[in-house]
Amino acid sequence: MRDLAMRAIHVSLDGLAARQRIIAENLANVDTPGYLAGRVSFEASLREAVSGRAPERTRLSTARSTDPTRVNGNNVDVDTENVSLVETGLRYQLAVESVNVKFRILRAAIRRDG
Amino acid sequence: MAIFPILQTAGSGLRTHRIWMDAVADNLANVNTIRPFDEGAFQARYVVAEAIRSDDRDPPGVGGGSRAAAVLFGSSEGRVRYEPTHPYANEQGLVRYPDIELGDQMTQLVMAQRAYQMNLAVVDRARDAYLQALQINGR
Repeated sequence: MRDLAMRAIHVSLDGLAARQRIIAENLANVDTPGYLAGRVSFEASLREAVSGRAPERTRLSTARSTDPTRVNGNNVDVDTENVSLVETGLRYQLAVESVNVKFRILRAAIRRDG
Repeated sequence: MAIFPILQTAGSGLRTHRIWMDAVADNLANVNTIRPFDEGAFQARYVVAEAIRSDDRDPPGVGGGSRAAAVLFGSSEGRVRYEPTHPYANEQGLVRYPDIELGDQMTQLVMAQRAYQMNLAVVDRARDAYLQALQINGR
């Protein structure tokens, strides 16, 4: 159950959930003067951690976007955030579906017995 | 890694056309911005869109999207009008209005809005397609 793949998916679910929260925060602050959009990154760190067979060592970092700002110092772009929201949601579902597949296989194996 | 590159492409289209709408809004907001004769008139904004190179995609050439590469400014001579009572009028009573054609701007606004909606439709359809694909494994 706690094989490498499941642990990696667990970490990626945490990362994607964090990204979704940051996107919500960005959208809430779309008009806040001086607010810089947040960006969550963890994929590169996860890839390294998985190749070292220790997905839990993934570092989840939040950086501020260096995109150009508008006159009030805000640089949140609604279209970028919305597309990011759609994509993060799809990635999250992909990860959850992978977990489901694993459990489905286990369930089938358990049912076969008896 | 972008596993759904079509979303990035459509996102770039949304961004470009929203900037276009911003420019038209700016022009329309300043359609009556009067300037003194000795200074330049308010210059209309023109957004220049360009395609994003996509040679690294597979197959190369498809899927880069677009971006607003630059903003060009229209004529600074504008339309000279005779308004002697205006505080900005010079000795001959002349002021400068921007050289903005309302009909042209409204047409651009409709075009930009429709293009924005079409890019939104792409995002919608792509998301539905991927959601369907995710259901291959289960019920």
